[in-house]
Amino acid sequence: MSDIDTDTDTDTDTDTDASIVVENVARAFGEVQAVRDASFVAGPGTVTALIGPNGSGKTTLLLMLASLLRPDVGQIRIAGFDPVTDTAAVRSRLGWMPDLLGSWNALTVRATLETTARLYRMDTASAAARATELILLVGLEQLAAQPTRVLSRGQKQRLSLARALVHDPAVLLLDEPASGLDPQARVDLRQLVRRVASEGKAVLISSHELAELDEMADGAVYLQGGVTASVESVTRTRSTARPWRIRAVDRAALTSALLAAGVDAGAIVVDRDELLVPLQGEAAASALLTALVGSGVAISTFAPAVGELEHTYLDLNRGGGE
Amino acid sequence: MKDFFAGVGVIVSLELRQRVRGRAWYVLLGVFVALIAIVTILLSIALGTNQAESTSGGAIFSTIIYFVLLLGTLVAPALGGNAINGDRDAGTLATTQITLITTGQIVIGKFLAAWITAFGFLAVSVPFLIYASLLGGLSGGAIVVSILVLAVELGVVSALGVGLSGVLNRPLFSIVATYLAVAALSIGTLIAFALGGLVMQSEQTITTTAGVTFDENGRATSCAPGDVQFTKAPRFDYFWGVLVTNPYVLLADAVPTNFDSRGNVTDLFGGIKAGVRMAQIAPPATVTYDACGADANNGSGSGSGTAYPTAQELIASTVPGWAVGLLIQLGLAAAALAGAVARTRTPAGRLSRGSRIA
Repeated sequence: MSDIDTDTDTDTDTDTDASIVVENVARAFGEVQAVRDASFVAGPGTVTALIGPNGSGKTTLLLMLASLLRPDVGQIRIAGFDPVTDTAAVRSRLGWMPDLLGSWNALTVRATLETTARLYRMDTASAAARATELILLVGLEQLAAQPTRVLSRGQKQRLSLARALVHDPAVLLLDEPASGLDPQARVDLRQLVRRVASEGKAVLISSHELAELDEMADGAVYLQGGVTASVESVTRTRSTARPWRIRAVDRAALTSALLAAGVDAGAIVVDRDELLVPLQGEAAASALLTALVGSGVAISTFAPAVGELEHTYLDLNRGGGE
Repeated sequence: MKDFFAGVGVIVSLELRQRVRGRAWYVLLGVFVALIAIVTILLSIALGTNQAESTSGGAIFSTIIYFVLLLGTLVAPALGGNAINGDRDAGTLATTQITLITTGQIVIGKFLAAWITAFGFLAVSVPFLIYASLLGGLSGGAIVVSILVLAVELGVVSALGVGLSGVLNRPLFSIVATYLAVAALSIGTLIAFALGGLVMQSEQTITTTAGVTFDENGRATSCAPGDVQFTKAPRFDYFWGVLVTNPYVLLADAVPTNFDSRGNVTDLFGGIKAGVRMAQIAPPATVTYDACGADANNGSGSGSGTAYPTAQELIASTVPGWAVGLLIQLGLAAAALAGAVARTRTPAGRLSRGSRIA
């Protein structure tokens, strides 16, 4: 049922290859085509964001990657193995944090992690040791002896992350990991994800927190109506105009300097103390900044008004809506 | 194989800690003990006063065993009837499935955990069974076999519950379906047996030769010409397999029977067993009542070709129905568990409408 001929394209796969390869994957539920044509590669040592509107097929795609759902067509390789035919090999190398936060509510935090480790065929002693490590890693020391039903949403989130890391997987799939976390926990999560990636693992994160993802993702996969955006269309959005936020102590001087630099007066938007100026790409931005600094205006802020992921996401959505 | 059972062991321990450790379970056990105690005390008063002590023990024992079976089959569906779809609703099934545990290990582990939980109810009733057997009239074999059959029946119901919880998506539906399955086994089999036997009837020819003149002992000395009648006889012998699938019948049939010197049964289970075994025998196509025949030994002229067998002879000459019933029940239990494995297997292929896997 799967296309064997694609094997030759991905024959760099080895046992230690921490990567996700998705080729033309589709999956329908009855009449509903949840994923139509998804293709992307997430390499070792990288954090990849999976971005798309509600109902675009993100969770279905993640379920297929997590070896829980069989694709109708197409090929998936997790660390070099096919989840459909080499399920056990994939599962021993894959960590999955679901969007639904289920936990065994009568078990303590420690027992939950120990049991998960036992489910990965660790012996009792190493399961206990691993549970202790993970409790420290996600900062649940105070709650280790509490049953999981008393945990708050954010604490369950951390437990779920710890559970996904129990067997030190080479590939990590995180479905909405940041939702419900307080700011400190978000910073911790970001550092943890970066650390995991720096160990050479592949991390795929689905989230709506685009600003958050901007700070930790190396690359992004955009999913729209079950189809991943092509590299070309993503590149195209890079060159479309995107607002930049500029702030100076003397706004009048800034405005005249902008006009002098050739910015269309009608395109300048005033937003509180700042001006929003549409610019096409990084090159145009650095040219404008050089011009402004050269004209002697005291600039205090010069930054994209929306993050790169958000810009691409919105731009692709706009394109998709036509 | 060792790895398989190690994984099953982890699931069993998880299930027991996750499901059983509730206060509700202990309350339920307490209510269960109280009910059995009440029934035992009332039976002892009722039977101990007006019957010989040797038979009251048997009667109490039979009734308590049936009562434990009744309560056990009423409790067991609630213990395992949402084992799989309940986990799916709670979001803990998928996180178990993405580990190195297989679907078979999950289903078997959950079944064993439900069975072990149901054992709790059997365990607390054992003191009452021992009390009843001490009253007398019981062989050790009867007690051991009764408890074994009870254990197996609780296992069958547990397997049906866990199996249906994997086949059906909604916990409420699967628990109700398990109760319906228990009802089908306990009551449905009786109805099916009776209706089936009555619908399938076969022709029977009855030849009656009545005596005309009699000697001083009332024996016929001359007879009128035979009177031939055509009737229909119900064919229960086609349906005895349905009857022995009934847990109560199966239990009665499995317990070793005590006979008196005439070959008659002495307890409730034995009576049921003799009746069930009789259903195995097809009605003869021709029946002859001949008052002048060689076997006719009394004046009534109602002797058939051969004398009726005693209960002991009947039981010895027929197929042990409990074994057949047990095979059918084990087949149903295995089919339910296999169905659960097939429907829960991942990576999931076809999914039923509205179901989610995580």
